[in-house]
Amino acid sequence: MAEVRLDGMLRQFVPRTSLTSSAGSVDLLLDELEARYPRLKHRIRDETHRLRPFVKVFVNGEELPRDGAEAHRLGPSDSIDILHSIQGG
Amino acid sequence: MVGKRSVSVWLGTRKGAYVARSNVARKKWTVHGPFQDGSDVFHVAPDPRHPGTVYSAANNGWWGPALYRSRDGGKKWTEVSVPGTPRFGERKMTDGEPPAAKFPIKNLWHIEPGPPGEPKSVFLGVDPAALYRSDDEGAHWEGVSGINEHSTRSRWNPGAGGLCLHTILIDPQQPRRMYIGISAAGTFKTEDGGAHWSPCNKGVEAPFLPEKFPELGQCVHKVALDPEDPSVLYRQDHGGIYVSRDRADHWTRVGKPLPEDFGFVVATAAGRPGEATFIPEIGESRTAIGGQFQVYRWHRDSKKWSPLVRKGLFPGFFGVHREGMAIDDLPTNGIYVGSTTGTLVLSPDYGRSWSAVPYQFPGIHSVSVSTA
Repeated sequence: MAEVRLDGMLRQFVPRTSLTSSAGSVDLLLDELEARYPRLKHRIRDETHRLRPFVKVFVNGEELPRDGAEAHRLGPSDSIDILHSIQGG
Repeated sequence: MVGKRSVSVWLGTRKGAYVARSNVARKKWTVHGPFQDGSDVFHVAPDPRHPGTVYSAANNGWWGPALYRSRDGGKKWTEVSVPGTPRFGERKMTDGEPPAAKFPIKNLWHIEPGPPGEPKSVFLGVDPAALYRSDDEGAHWEGVSGINEHSTRSRWNPGAGGLCLHTILIDPQQPRRMYIGISAAGTFKTEDGGAHWSPCNKGVEAPFLPEKFPELGQCVHKVALDPEDPSVLYRQDHGGIYVSRDRADHWTRVGKPLPEDFGFVVATAAGRPGEATFIPEIGESRTAIGGQFQVYRWHRDSKKWSPLVRKGLFPGFFGVHREGMAIDDLPTNGIYVGSTTGTLVLSPDYGRSWSAVPYQFPGIHSVSVSTA
């Protein structure tokens, strides 16, 4: 099972920030998270299922490029971090 | 207005929504908020059909846009739906795929409660430019396809704030007649409740386009209806200040005598037909002309302009956004102006005297007012 860590900002939508998943891609992982925690829906991904602009996904410490991040394949030994970058002011 | 005792000035700011309250003397104010703390609230709209009901358009860089409603004058807020993103409790894995051209919604721009005869209807204008209608106070939304799929859509271009539908006006005498404003596509009108729309920009200059007076493509900033004769409209455009006397079919530029007639806001006042209030700005910097806050009033009968603010009051190079001015419906018609630097300037007597609410707000996007 892949390890998944969510940043603290997501605590308002998800009760825990460390969990595991067997999803085969980032998109499927987000589908799974949204099914488990409906309040998350449309917060990480917009209504077209693209990652929102200030969401960053890291796999094994490497940031996924924005284009195609959703389709990135995941394996059972992967470690995934979903983070929000700084914005605003 | 007989019997009214309080004034609530609703603010959308860069860091949440606020309400400033006073009695009708409008000398002492109490400030409540922020609500939707941290979100860029573009518009807060009290619903005159349901006293105490208020909508807030909260845009958030991390979480996307969200629409909130309060039933109790701002004490408690509940998230309602945004088109394409049902409210939390109704989010399912099988939400329909929204059509790509209008999604994702970047920002919610303007909330317009429907006419009195349709007590649960609400209209919403968003970026990318689209108009939505709800018949259950925001629980569900339907796109107004007559404008969203308009044949001219490919010729619409974004202004600096995006491709935003920011103005929604309903003719109080004929509610099936509506006007919308899109930057930068111009003003459109429907006579049949939204099924068909036609651009109405004749006479309005688009100084940034090769063709100076095109059918559409103008960067309209705000439009207001005359309070007693809805065939008369007042318009602040990127390319000047205009008046129409034939339901927006033709426009006449009236702003040229001013030092500048660029600006963002226009407002009219209940019981004051033939008058409209504007705040012209420097076109390049979007700030007060000469570093001096000034409000001008247009008088239809005399065809003249009057400055309303004494020189020396409120100096500074700040601006006012397109939703940044409102006028109340008390007999004295208080004027409320929110600055981009977070000052709420007000005149309790329709421009004769001016003061400011002693509170430092975040930069103000929108000002609305309700009285009770």
